[in-house]
Amino acid sequence: MQRRTFLQTLAGAGILGSLPLARALAAGATALSVDDLPPLEGELTLYLGRGEGGLYENVLEAIKKRNPKFTLNIRRGVTAALANTIVAEAKAGVRRADIFWAVDSGAIGLVNDAGLARPLPADLTGQLKEGFRYDNWSPVTGRIRTLPYNTQKLSADKIPDSVMALPDSGLSIGWAPAYASFQSFITAMRLLEGEKATAEWLKAMNKRGKNYAGELGVVMAVERGEVDVGFANHYYTLRLKAGKPDAKVDLAFSKNDAGCLVNASGILALSEGALPINFIRYLLTREVQSYLASEAYEIPLVAGVSPPEGLPPLASISPPQMDLTRLADLRPTLDLMRSVGVL
Amino acid sequence: MKVLLRNCHKALCAAALLLAAVQVSANGAIGEHVNHLQDNLGKYTKEVNWIIERIDIMVNTYEAKGAKAAESDQVVDIWESVIFHSAIEVNYVPIYANIWQGLYGVKEAIDAEKPVAEVRAEQAALEQSLWQALGAVKLAAQYQQRGLLAQVKTTETLPTTLTGTLDEVKHRLDRVVAKYAEQLPEEATSIVHDTYLNLFEGVEGALIEQDAKLVEALEKDFNVTLPKAISGNGSVDDVRGVVSAMHTKLDRAKALLQKAEEERKDVF
Repeated sequence: MQRRTFLQTLAGAGILGSLPLARALAAGATALSVDDLPPLEGELTLYLGRGEGGLYENVLEAIKKRNPKFTLNIRRGVTAALANTIVAEAKAGVRRADIFWAVDSGAIGLVNDAGLARPLPADLTGQLKEGFRYDNWSPVTGRIRTLPYNTQKLSADKIPDSVMALPDSGLSIGWAPAYASFQSFITAMRLLEGEKATAEWLKAMNKRGKNYAGELGVVMAVERGEVDVGFANHYYTLRLKAGKPDAKVDLAFSKNDAGCLVNASGILALSEGALPINFIRYLLTREVQSYLASEAYEIPLVAGVSPPEGLPPLASISPPQMDLTRLADLRPTLDLMRSVGVL
Repeated sequence: MKVLLRNCHKALCAAALLLAAVQVSANGAIGEHVNHLQDNLGKYTKEVNWIIERIDIMVNTYEAKGAKAAESDQVVDIWESVIFHSAIEVNYVPIYANIWQGLYGVKEAIDAEKPVAEVRAEQAALEQSLWQALGAVKLAAQYQQRGLLAQVKTTETLPTTLTGTLDEVKHRLDRVVAKYAEQLPEEATSIVHDTYLNLFEGVEGALIEQDAKLVEALEKDFNVTLPKAISGNGSVDDVRGVVSAMHTKLDRAKALLQKAEEERKDVF
C-alpha cells in the first residue's frame, strides 16, 4: 500500500483523527512531537509494571494533565505478575486491562504468545529504530548490558570483547546472579550460545565471581576497586558518574553477544480502537523519549532522539540480533542456574 | 510520655503510609476493628489491664514458687490472645517492638532464674510499653475520627513516588525491629532483604545522583550491618540502634530526593 493511501485509510477509519498527526507521519519515520498528536478522550485501564523509581508515573501524570477529557485507571504491580494476571483474566473470559506497559520485554512476550496483543499500525512501529519493530507490541525505551570496569586498575582494551572469554581473563569480576536483569542476560546467552556453553560459563564464573545483591552494588564495588569488572545495565554507571563525576569507573562493551544485549521496556494494546493506539503514540513522542533519556538514563528507541549523556550511540555498539520476547523463557534459565549451583 | 506522644503525633501525621502498608500480622489477619479504633478503646483498655494483671500473677508465682511454676512460655499466648496487638501493630510499630522486648524480658529473666527485683524491673518496662501503646492507639483513634487516617487496606499497596517509597522503607525497618523483638530473626532478615530488593533498590539509582556516599552507607547497612546485627544474636536495642541510624540516613535521602524532584524538568 502506498504511504499516502495508507494514511487516508487510517484517517477514514478514525485511527488518526488529526491532521497534524497525518502530516507528521507523512513527513517520515522519526519521533513525533506531542503537538502532532490528537487529544486523548475516553477511558483506559493500564496495567503498569513497576518502573524506574517514579519517572513513569511522572510521564503518565503529564499525559493526563495534557488530556483533561481522558481518564486513566492504573493497576500497578510486579511486571511478571501482571502479565500472568492478564493471561489468567483472558482465560476466565474477562478483560480488565486495555494496555500493558511492562519494564521488560519477556513479560510482553508472555502476553503476546497468549494471542492477546492487538496488532499495531505500521506507521507507529515504523517510528522505532530498526531491530526494534514488532507487529503486536512496541518497545518504549532500552537498556544495554555493559561491563563496568575500574579505570584505575585497567583500560577498556584489557577487557575481552567476548563475554564468553571473561571467566578466563584473569580479572576479578562482580555479579548479581539473583537479579532479574542478570537472569535475562543469561536467558539471552542460553538462546545464543546454547545450554551447554552457558552452563560451562556459569560454572567458571561461579569460581571467579563475587556476589552482590543488586547491580548498583556491583558498579559501586567496581568503582571502589573491590573487583576489576562487573556485569550491569548501563544506567547504574551513568547515574553513579552523575553523582560522583570523578568516579573511577567506565563502561566497556562486548561484541555481538549476550554481554551487550539491548533489552527494552514495552507496551501493547489489549483492546481495539484508536484510543489505546494513540496512548502508545504519546510514549513514543520526542518529549517523552527525551525525558526518559535525560531523567532515567534510558535509551530512546525512536529515531531522532539523543541517547543519555555518557553513553555511546547505539549504532556504535554491536548488540546481538534477538527477538526480545523470547526472553520470556525464564524457567529453563533458573533451572540451569540452580543446577550449576549459582542460585 | 510527652516525648512519646510527640513521636506518635509525628508518626500518625504520616499515618496513611503506616496504615496502608501492612496488612497481615504474623499473628493472623488484622481484624476490621482497626478501622473503628474509637469504638474499641474500652476493649483495648480492658485488654491492657488484663495483660498487666496476668503478667503480675506470673511474676508473683515466680517469687513464691519458682521458675517452673511461673510457666513463662505463656507470655506469648497472653499477648497473642488480645486484639489490641493488631491495633498497635498497624499504628505505631516501634512500640509494638518494645512490647515484644518487654514480654521476652520478663520471660528470659524468669527462665534464667534471676533475682525477683530484676524480673520486676522487666515487668515495669513492659507495663510502661503497654501504657504507651494504649496512648498511641488513643491518639490514632482521634485522628481516625477526624478522617486523618486512611482506612487499613486488606491488600498491599506500594507507594508510587520516591519519597513515599522511602517512608515505606522506614516503616518496614521498624517491622524488622518488631520481628526481632518477637524472636523471629529469620522473618526479620527476610523483611530486610525484601525491603532492599523491592523498595530501596528502586530508589537508589536516583539517590546516587544526589549523594553517592549516602547510597554506599545505606547499601552497607542493608547488606552487611543490619543482617549481621540480627544474625549475631545481639540485643533488641542493638538492632534498634542500627535501624535508628538508617532512619536518619533515609531522612536525609528523602530531603535530597524531594529537592531533586522539585527541580526536575517537566515532561511536556
